[in-house]
Amino acid sequence: MTAPLLAVDGLKYCYPGGVVALRDLNLKIRKGRKLAILGANGSGKTTLLLHLNGTFRPTHGEIRIDGQPAAYDRRSLINWRRRVGLVLQEPDDQLFAATVEQDVSFGPLNLGLSEAETRERVSEALEALRIAPLAQRATHTLSFGQKKRAAIAGIVAMRPEILVLDEPTAGLDSHGVTHLLGVLRQLHEAGATLVFSTHDVELAYGWADEVAVFHEGTVRIQGETTAVLGNGELLHRARLRPPLLLEVAQALGADVESLPRTREALLAQLRERR
Amino acid sequence: MRAIDHYAWTNRWRDRHPAEKLLPAFSLLLLTLLLPPLTTGPLVLLLTTLATVRGAGVPIHAFWNVMAVPAAFLLVGAPFLAVSISFTGGLNLHLSPDGVWLALETTVRALAAVSCLAFLTLTTPLVDWAPLLRRLGTPASVVELILLMYRLIFVFAERALTGRQAQAARLGYARFDRSLHSTGLLAGNLFQRGLDRARRLDIGLAARGYTGDLRVLTPDRPLSWLRLATAMMLVGGIGLMSGLLAREWL
Repeated sequence: MTAPLLAVDGLKYCYPGGVVALRDLNLKIRKGRKLAILGANGSGKTTLLLHLNGTFRPTHGEIRIDGQPAAYDRRSLINWRRRVGLVLQEPDDQLFAATVEQDVSFGPLNLGLSEAETRERVSEALEALRIAPLAQRATHTLSFGQKKRAAIAGIVAMRPEILVLDEPTAGLDSHGVTHLLGVLRQLHEAGATLVFSTHDVELAYGWADEVAVFHEGTVRIQGETTAVLGNGELLHRARLRPPLLLEVAQALGADVESLPRTREALLAQLRERR
Repeated sequence: MRAIDHYAWTNRWRDRHPAEKLLPAFSLLLLTLLLPPLTTGPLVLLLTTLATVRGAGVPIHAFWNVMAVPAAFLLVGAPFLAVSISFTGGLNLHLSPDGVWLALETTVRALAAVSCLAFLTLTTPLVDWAPLLRRLGTPASVVELILLMYRLIFVFAERALTGRQAQAARLGYARFDRSLHSTGLLAGNLFQRGLDRARRLDIGLAARGYTGDLRVLTPDRPLSWLRLATAMMLVGGIGLMSGLLAREWL
């Protein structure tokens, strides 16, 4: 098997002051997959994600990109962040420009693209996130969901290979979640590798190819979604609960693999049966 | 502030090239400062009001609201210009024709000048000023700082507002002494959050390749020479008319 795009190897991280945030952490991000990092709130998921684009530097252990240990000099970091796009949970931490178009143009211009290319990237990203009509709107007049999409567009415009999203659905209403997942599906089909952190087991079950269960500063297990989420005891120890659809499937004694994993898929199948 | 910002972003002239608004407005401001105020002032006031209300479609009450604060200062200050005080043989107040004239001129001139700026603030959001500032030779970092502050003002205003509401919900402003205490707590909290926000914004920007320059696209808007010429001719017309009237009356 080829080396994963990004691998975290024996990572330990202490906050300044010595509090241990992450320890003995291993994680593999493989090309073209959708990986969910699943953990309770405040378990240190964000701290881990901030290692994936070189924002934080491990106290021990290392991050490997294409099998090579990552370097933290200026040029390597620029290159790294060109390949790994990180979307923070709080869009206001990321949006700084006065209009949506201007904000989205920031990344491409930092890549050294020309103004014409930047305009192309910006309109492409706004289309992808379906917020083209908001291009000239003032950032501070957007709703939370719109801000979130604008923040993602700012990263998408840089065309990263790996898109890392911190709690992408947090704070969105169900309509916003559906919309966002549609966008992410398109980006994934266009070739992006997706990594997202979440505490929502149902979301991980319906969406991810792989799940990494995160608890007390480390990844307890990383594996195929159904296998990992079928392990109720392990989830319970990580203060999580198995997804409803999976529990129902288990209770019915059905083959888990053959059953729908999202509410939409389940309803569609039920309708077909009738 | 919210209202001004709202109209700046939504008025009918929002998408016009900023030069079409900035050049005429500043020319008008110059006329106001140079020409006899009593003839120029009213004409300028009329033109800026018409341009803002009829042209850009900003409701007149918004225009008055912007004008109200400086106008209030002027009304308070003007009487002191009209009156002269002397201390020879006790305190004497003199109301001289010269003084009244001066007060009137100053008030009219100031009001007209403020109206030019009111027109600009209500029709042109701050972002559109940036290219002009750059062209005038303002250092890039200063322009970036201005834009960043503009963005963050709203983030903080919102925090301050919700913080205040949360405090009020727990009767933080029920008594005078508690109000002082609550305001102090809120201010301290905002400073702390400000630092925290700066740190996180730094992470967010670094994730997008920030290396010290906040470069963004400037919107691509065609400059209509016809509109600019028309506006400048109007401004010229006002200058001419004011000059003629001044010769006639003054």
